[in-house]
Amino acid sequence: MNGNDYIISATDVFKTYATGRVHVQALRGIDLHVNQGEMVAIMGPSGCGKTTLLNCLSGLDSTDSGQIFVEKMQLHTLPDDERSDYRAQRMGFIFQLYNLLPVLTSVENVEMPLLVSGVGSQEARQRSLQMLETVGLAEWAQHLPAELSGGQRQRVTIARALVNNPAIIWADEPTGDLDSETTQDIMDLLLSLNRENRQTFVLVTHSREVGEMCHRIVRMRDGQIVDDGREA
Amino acid sequence: MNLLMVILLAVFLGIMAVVGFLAWRHRIMLKLGLRNIPRRPAQTALIIVGSMLSAVIIAASFTTGDTLSSSIRNASIEGLGTIDEILTPSRGAQDFGPVYVDESRFDALQRQLADFDAIDGMTPYIAETAPALNLRASLSEGQARIVAPDPTTLEGFGQFTLLSGQPYPLQNMPSGSALVNEEAREDLDAQPGDTLRLFLQDGFVDLRVEGVVENGGLAGVDPTILMPLSAAQQVFEKQGQISTIAVSNRGGVTDGVHLSREVSTKLRVLFADRQIAEELKNLLDEPQVLTLLEEREDSLSGERQNEMAVLRRELTQPAVTDELVRVLSDETIQSQTLDALGDADLAQLEEEADTLFRNLSEMNVFAVKRYFLDLSDQAASGITALFILLGLFSVGVGILLVFLIFVMLAAARRTEMGMARAVGARQSHLVQMFIFEGTAYNLVAAALGVAVGLGVGYLIAAVTNQILGGTGEDFEFAYSVELRSAVVAYCIGMIITFATVAVSAYRVSRMNIVEAVRGLPETVAVSQEGTFTQRLMGVLKAAVRPVLFLISAIKHLFNRRFGGAIRDLAFAALWLLIQPLWLADVAVALVKFVWPYVLRGWLTVLLGLILMLGGAGPWNQAAPFSIGASMIIVGVGLILRLAMSRWPSLAPLPGLLILTGGAALLIFGIATVSVVDIITAAVLVVIGVAMTPPGWSRRGELRPEFIDRLAFTLMGVLTLALWVLPIATLEPVTGVLDSSTEMFFVSGVIMVAAAVWSLMYNADLLLKTLAFVTSGIGKLRPVLVIAVAYPMSAKFRTGLTLAMFALVIFTLIVMSILSDAFSNTLADTDSVTGHWDVEMTVNSSNPINNIQESLSGVDELPPSTFDAVGGFVTAPVVARQADADSPRWKQFSLQAADDAYLDATQYTFHIIAEGYGPTEEEVWQALRDNPNLAVVGYFAIGDSGQEEFGASTTSFRVEGVSVEDETMTPVTVEILEPQTNARVDYTVIGVLDLVADNAGSMIVNKQTIDDALPFPVPVTTYRFRTAPDVDAKETSRALEASFLEHGAEAETLKEVIDEQVAVNSAFNNLLTGFMGMGLIVGVAALGVISLRAVVERRQQVGVLRAIGYRRGMIQLSFLVEASFVSLLGVAIGVALGAILSFNLVDAIRDQLPGLQFSMPWLEIGIIIAIAYVFAMLTTYLPARQAARIHPAEALRYE
Repeated sequence: MNGNDYIISATDVFKTYATGRVHVQALRGIDLHVNQGEMVAIMGPSGCGKTTLLNCLSGLDSTDSGQIFVEKMQLHTLPDDERSDYRAQRMGFIFQLYNLLPVLTSVENVEMPLLVSGVGSQEARQRSLQMLETVGLAEWAQHLPAELSGGQRQRVTIARALVNNPAIIWADEPTGDLDSETTQDIMDLLLSLNRENRQTFVLVTHSREVGEMCHRIVRMRDGQIVDDGREA
Repeated sequence: MNLLMVILLAVFLGIMAVVGFLAWRHRIMLKLGLRNIPRRPAQTALIIVGSMLSAVIIAASFTTGDTLSSSIRNASIEGLGTIDEILTPSRGAQDFGPVYVDESRFDALQRQLADFDAIDGMTPYIAETAPALNLRASLSEGQARIVAPDPTTLEGFGQFTLLSGQPYPLQNMPSGSALVNEEAREDLDAQPGDTLRLFLQDGFVDLRVEGVVENGGLAGVDPTILMPLSAAQQVFEKQGQISTIAVSNRGGVTDGVHLSREVSTKLRVLFADRQIAEELKNLLDEPQVLTLLEEREDSLSGERQNEMAVLRRELTQPAVTDELVRVLSDETIQSQTLDALGDADLAQLEEEADTLFRNLSEMNVFAVKRYFLDLSDQAASGITALFILLGLFSVGVGILLVFLIFVMLAAARRTEMGMARAVGARQSHLVQMFIFEGTAYNLVAAALGVAVGLGVGYLIAAVTNQILGGTGEDFEFAYSVELRSAVVAYCIGMIITFATVAVSAYRVSRMNIVEAVRGLPETVAVSQEGTFTQRLMGVLKAAVRPVLFLISAIKHLFNRRFGGAIRDLAFAALWLLIQPLWLADVAVALVKFVWPYVLRGWLTVLLGLILMLGGAGPWNQAAPFSIGASMIIVGVGLILRLAMSRWPSLAPLPGLLILTGGAALLIFGIATVSVVDIITAAVLVVIGVAMTPPGWSRRGELRPEFIDRLAFTLMGVLTLALWVLPIATLEPVTGVLDSSTEMFFVSGVIMVAAAVWSLMYNADLLLKTLAFVTSGIGKLRPVLVIAVAYPMSAKFRTGLTLAMFALVIFTLIVMSILSDAFSNTLADTDSVTGHWDVEMTVNSSNPINNIQESLSGVDELPPSTFDAVGGFVTAPVVARQADADSPRWKQFSLQAADDAYLDATQYTFHIIAEGYGPTEEEVWQALRDNPNLAVVGYFAIGDSGQEEFGASTTSFRVEGVSVEDETMTPVTVEILEPQTNARVDYTVIGVLDLVADNAGSMIVNKQTIDDALPFPVPVTTYRFRTAPDVDAKETSRALEASFLEHGAEAETLKEVIDEQVAVNSAFNNLLTGFMGMGLIVGVAALGVISLRAVVERRQQVGVLRAIGYRRGMIQLSFLVEASFVSLLGVAIGVALGAILSFNLVDAIRDQLPGLQFSMPWLEIGIIIAIAYVFAMLTTYLPARQAARIHPAEALRYE
């Protein structure tokens, strides 16, 4: 099998962390394939390797062996700069801890990926404001992250992840820090975006409710996929 | 110095004892504090580098002082050998050649001192000067010293030693022979067997060189020819006469000096007329005079101060004591006493004292070695003070850095500290933790600082030697360090940084535990100011602190807590023994008591008003006036801040105030045609206009940040404007206020603080401007946005770093602009020299009778060589002004010039008297036509500030004429030639420009001197103006060769000035380099900030990498951030430095025409480049580290 049939295709991926004298096998022969427009949730107990898998698939982290194709490209073979450019243009990231830059306003945070991709500043600002409007934060564009609530911050993160119209959005516990009502809001937003734009979403989550809202749940344990959620 | 060392050591050991005790009591806090040190080696290294600067500056300053002191000591001890005192006939050796006494006076003196054992040798001798020519080598020395001691009395001085090491007995010298010293051998290439021709007034005498003896002692260090006394008496036709007696005290070359006071007393008592001493005592032992002497004593320092104290003490004794005679016979004490009387307008008393002083002593006793050793001590403390003064800015920024470091460390450990507090640690525990860590840094930093400082001192000595080497000076800096200097530097460095650490530790330990644990933004604890009663109790407790310690100790004893009792007893002892500590405690409590009122503004205004009125009124000082005015501005800002939070509709007021100030200044500036005023006013108007509408539109709901912004912008902008204004702007209101070097420091600190303050509160404007400017730069934009956003969000940190950079750059810019401006004034050589090209001096004992005639006999110098030739003689005289407040004879220098000189000289004038001129030529013509007219140099007028240029304060000065005057009324000055008592009255009709090379003297027509004196006065200095195409250098060589037998020494004046300019600028560069050490701090600060930033932003860097930032972009953003801060600091420093220098140059220009403001771009470029390159180098590693952060790891990192 090669990566041609899927937007994301991982085969026999291994990853080991060395922390001092301890070696942790985080991924042990992962095979995972995601179709375009699919919304996949990766679930499993703490320490099972979900975030590591997400980082390896998105090219943020390297692997020890195995192959990963994203949009028909093997990211880990690309030089670091090209990988960065690819992330800027084709990927969006949502993290549990919002990870906004505290020194920039909402709109400045959102326009960062556009500026990195070389979009002109006026256009970047316009698109960012539109994106903030889409996530319902138009009025908060000029506020610093410290002045926003948790749910608002996560919306800014989502706006930032989507502003460059990426093919794939990686989300690591996007609702982990939110109450159930806000979680529902955020998931509704992600689902509607997925429906409207046919963008691929890979979510790492602990939450059964969040997982069940996705098209498919991939379950992991001890660095392996125990259930890829496809019909047998 | 020894006392200082003991005090500092005691303080240092006291600190260490307290820290040690606390460490022993709280070992866990010690561990917590110290474990941070090895965690981040790069950060630790930068902290140590930043903290060591105080010690570096102080050690380098003291080392330079030690080096200078030991160099002067060595040179004087080497030069004087065993000679301790020199006796010359009173009032002799002042005018034209030495004064002689009969040889029998020496014999009598020997008999008088027969029982006096503090002297182990005395020799009578003749000391003369004459031109000498080595006939074989055709080399001459215009001012060869001839020393001829009595060979039978050389016991105590040692034999003259030939270079071969053999002693040479002078009594065996064949007649017609002489010895030369090493210096003369070098200048004349004299070797044994050569014939030296000495040119005398009426012919010459040839001497055969017997040998070359070592320099030092009677052989001296100048080119000297030695012969027996009897031979010299014949040569100079002074049979049976001597001019000088050298005295050697018991002991060797160095220890004899300890007997100097005893020997001087004995000799002065012998030579003094006791009757006159009695009369002087009666005259001066008056309450009024004693008060004057006490005031004078307070204004003196060192040995002079001690001697004045002795005079006062001895005057009040019932009878004339030997000690009184000794001090009364001291010429320095005499002139100080006369000055004290003169300054108090006691003219008659002064004149009587002057007459008595003149007749008091038969011979003048000069304790020459003691004098030079005192001089070396004075020079050392002077140079140490100068370097410390120059280093003050660096020490200041060093303190800022230590503070910044601790604020940052505290920020990094906030959560950790919050948790410690949550589980029961006290605030004092956190303070101790930081103090333990800081003390560890300080101990190492101060030691390293002293080591580096000693190195810097060595470098200063080496560079100075190189500069002096270029001038041909013999004096050499011999590097020397005294242990006590190193100890003092270590202790001061350590104490300064410790104090900063202690204050910082206290500041950072104040926190809200919940905020700290949860990592929420810090809210300043406003409620901590305490109630009125609490604060008042604080003051009362501080006032009786030792008693409270004692009570607490007793309580501990009752409860059998011996540790606590010992601690409290120790504190009580510390407070009682080191009272400044107690005072500081009370002062802190007092400040805490009044602080709320200072913050509310009204007390700030009140204190400012007191300072301002005091400065403009009784103190007449610019510094308190300007500081007071600034405090009023700040106070008004604080009051407005409070008022706006209560009544938001006041929001437009700050803008309107700035606008009004700007408009008023604009009107004033236009009226007085002051460019700086107009520009400052325009800027104020623009800021005022920009601030008012936002204030108006938001007056409905004012956020606290907006109120702060309005209020602090008002304070910053108006304070900056106040200090930017030229001194002259406020003079119509304040009058002319006194100011000195301290204003430079005060203005530097306040201007920079105000600029940084204004900038930091309006950082968003800067961001918007940058965003606008960089909108078209494409991929660089995201880098720039981040690079600017981070420093602007950490205002305190960035503000401190900016201030450090700006302060250092500010001082460097002011130094280079001013030294450049001063050097440029000398660039106009013709104004300096009066348009003369070559100067030639000849020996007074063998002058040229008619220069024109003599020149016509020189083939190499045809008449076409010169456009003009003139001459003069310089004579030390005494002068007084008949219509002065207290006319008194004071020393003065007279240049009596011949007609040819007066005809051709082209010096320009600062002031021309009414009825003369208006052109320069007309003034010179008047001097030629009317021999009783005179002009004086710039420094000869009363308020020319010559002390600052090193001139003596006891010299004559013309009163009633000011440097500010456009014109003057002619002034009559009486001149007395002290040797002959000949008197001439002159009318002064002009004052020369400051740059003229004879600024301290008076130029008159020589005719008057010739008429007044009973003997002919020869011209000893000739000046030549060469024709346009003639080479001045060649001409000076030809002149020297042609007038060899007259002892001619010629030089081109341009070369002399160029050399002086080169030396000046070399020394300025040295001092600038020294001050530039402060840059180390600025650079270290950036390094520390960058290192911390990498740690603090690790996760954010991960996010940036995830959203597509390349490694290079991350690295670049860190470098751009450092560039932004350093370049902004540089820009502030350059701008403010240039403005202050412009104002200073403008103010000084009144006194120094030709002083022009110009930017030495090359030097400024070098300063900026060095600052920037080092800033980049320090940031490079952290930036690279940041770029290598692995995104996945960073995002996982918590």
